[in-house]
Amino acid sequence: MLFLAILGPGIITANVDNDAGGITTYSLAAAEYGYSVLWMMIPTTIALVVVQEMCARMGAVTGKGLSDLIRESFGVKITFYVMIALFLTNMGNSISEFAGIAASLELFGISKYVSVPLSAVVVWLLIVKGSYKTVEKVFLVACLVYIAYPVAAFMAKPAWGVVLKATVTPTFKSDSGYLMTLIGIIGTTIAPWMQFYQQSAVVEKGITAEQYGFTRLDVVIGCILAIVVAFFMMVACSATIHANGLKIETAADAALALKPLVGNYASTLFAFGLFNASLFGACILPLSTAFYICEGMGWESGVDKDFEQAPQFFWLFTAIIVISALIILFPNAPLLKIMFLSQVLNGAVLPFVLIFMMLLINDKKLMGSFRNGPIYNVIASITVIITIVLTIIMTLDMAVPGLLKRFLSF
Amino acid sequence: MKTEFNEIYLSSVIGRSVINNKGEQLGILRDLIMIPGDVFPEVSHIIFKSPKGVQSLPWSEVALFTHIVISSVGINPPGLRPYETQEGEILVKRDLLDKQIVDVNGAKVVRVNDIKLGNLNQKLCIFSVDIGFRGLLRRLGYERFGGFIARSLRKEIPQTEISWEYVQPLEIHSSKLALNIARNQMNELHPADLADIIENIPIQNIRTVLDSMDAETTGETLYELEPEMRNVVISQMDDEEVSDILEEMEHDEAADVLSDLPEEKAQELLDLMDHDDAEDIQELLEHEEDSAGGLMNPDYFRLSSDITVGRALQILRENAAEIETIYYGYIVDNEERLEGVISLKTLLLADPAIHITDVMEENIKSVTIDAEPVDMLETLAKYDLIAVPVLDDEHKMAGIVTVDDVLAHYLPSILKHKRR
Repeated sequence: MLFLAILGPGIITANVDNDAGGITTYSLAAAEYGYSVLWMMIPTTIALVVVQEMCARMGAVTGKGLSDLIRESFGVKITFYVMIALFLTNMGNSISEFAGIAASLELFGISKYVSVPLSAVVVWLLIVKGSYKTVEKVFLVACLVYIAYPVAAFMAKPAWGVVLKATVTPTFKSDSGYLMTLIGIIGTTIAPWMQFYQQSAVVEKGITAEQYGFTRLDVVIGCILAIVVAFFMMVACSATIHANGLKIETAADAALALKPLVGNYASTLFAFGLFNASLFGACILPLSTAFYICEGMGWESGVDKDFEQAPQFFWLFTAIIVISALIILFPNAPLLKIMFLSQVLNGAVLPFVLIFMMLLINDKKLMGSFRNGPIYNVIASITVIITIVLTIIMTLDMAVPGLLKRFLSF
Repeated sequence: MKTEFNEIYLSSVIGRSVINNKGEQLGILRDLIMIPGDVFPEVSHIIFKSPKGVQSLPWSEVALFTHIVISSVGINPPGLRPYETQEGEILVKRDLLDKQIVDVNGAKVVRVNDIKLGNLNQKLCIFSVDIGFRGLLRRLGYERFGGFIARSLRKEIPQTEISWEYVQPLEIHSSKLALNIARNQMNELHPADLADIIENIPIQNIRTVLDSMDAETTGETLYELEPEMRNVVISQMDDEEVSDILEEMEHDEAADVLSDLPEEKAQELLDLMDHDDAEDIQELLEHEEDSAGGLMNPDYFRLSSDITVGRALQILRENAAEIETIYYGYIVDNEERLEGVISLKTLLLADPAIHITDVMEENIKSVTIDAEPVDMLETLAKYDLIAVPVLDDEHKMAGIVTVDDVLAHYLPSILKHKRR
């Protein structure tokens, strides 16, 4: 119960961070490249903390959500196109949540043609009936299942010396798959929806600039917790799947990472964790996307309204749920690939959201003495530049295969 | 004639060229300065960006103002000055466009998509704000496209504009005018609508809205808020202020508000309140929230048995302002024991000279202080009552429960709407 009492917006947001897309991306990355992607985690943590802290601070100081601020500072045109981008990436995330639901329940032998439509209806009802806030607590408690990953990582007895060395030694590989993995890791860890979600959570809680100290702590702890889980997830995958030269083709393969801990129950435990995370995300993403868009465009919103009173709001989240579920229902839809690609899309949209955030948080009229310090600006700028550069290189490399290799061999 | 139009949208003039009467370009229109006017706010200066920096030009020196071009009087208008931001001044684009406003008519918070300017007595005034879909399309540059789609679907894109007189900006930096109008209009809104508005605006602005209302309205509005939201709002105010507001509220409502707060905070507030009020509320707080004791109001129309009907009506007139429900008079003895009930209708119809005990109803329907909502509802419905007296363990009169208090318990989804 103490766990529930100390929960703030930061910890909740970070917890949802390890959703279906997150679990998949971390597992795939580690299974494919082993320890050599671990070095990403330290810079990503720093960037995540800086970015999320900026949002929480903006929420506390201005009392407004991020799309609200974008609209008021940059006008309706920019807002409109940002909202379209946000709609598309969040749709991607939402699709990946339903893919997670399908993949996890398939491990229990439940066909996706049953699980996905059923989950879509459940999610829609949870939102419309307004009971989501209550259920959120259940989801959060169920997130404790993540403890399995650190334990599994230790039981797999990896060579800790090698792990530590890999964590602090940056390595590069010059193929587009590796770059995509890097962008995917950044994209899933610092997903664009998280900034919007966290800021409105801070606003909704009524936290003000004076009470901000505690919230900052909450954000930092949340981010570190999320990354610790992700780190051990990757160690566990590397030590079991990558070390044995296996590949992850389906969710059942990814479950192997938990084998040192629970033996043959690995797939059950993995499926439970994935299902919980996916359903959690499937509730949060459509609902919050509808909220930000309506906030930015000035449309009525709120689950206490109905289709008549708040048509845009209701149609938005309904459309996201229905489209996401339908895409997963395509026969032979490559579930893991969908989950992974949606995270790459996150990474590609992220720099644009960050640029707006940088402009807003350095606005003297808006933030007063709570503007960014120079160190913050440097870290945030580096994050922006790196993600932009990575995205451009990846796009080029996909358009002209082999370009990157030639470039690097000079 | 300065303008060739009666009405023009802000979005269609921003970014247009500003020229002098020889046709030489002075700059690009950026914003308009707004000042209070007779009926509508007026534009006092136009602001444009020129190669020499941002400049302002008084409206009196604008010769032509159209959606194609804006031109000044003469070649070098005398009023042309470099523009410097001034504290407290209102710029139409910067401070109004895209901002949240309270639509006082619809009692909701919306966003300004466009602003309609108009020509009134040779002055450029702000007529109305566009909050609708058409304004959104216009700003996005898709008005024609949207119109084409709508025509082919044989539908109209609704024009949703609100006249300026019904609109109040929530966050003008410092403008007395805005707050004055807001005060009048805010008090006209129903507290339930005000609560809806408050739940939709940034927490920093809630103060502005609350400050523009009197203590009584503030109290009723607080009561209408969702408990979670209400606690946040209360935590933003200082205790003195909250205790003053609580004193203005009906005791049963104040008790409801306090019972949702953390115990410590509630006690602090009670200590700050007027002693008598605090005591009554304290008593209510001790009962289960859903029992008759929790729902009841300790103030009722109280009479003694030794008076006439005329005297009773006089007592009613003197005290009606203080009592929430006046449809029944309750005749009690020195020890607060209930002897009879008389309805307002009976009082009004009876001969003022006759003794009250001759017309009062002695067969009294009442509930005990620990009665459940279902008991109260049954009694109220069965005997067609608007209120029912509540008796404590010693059969003394403790207060009354009204039918709307019981209904509010049964219809939470309708009367107290759900949030997110």
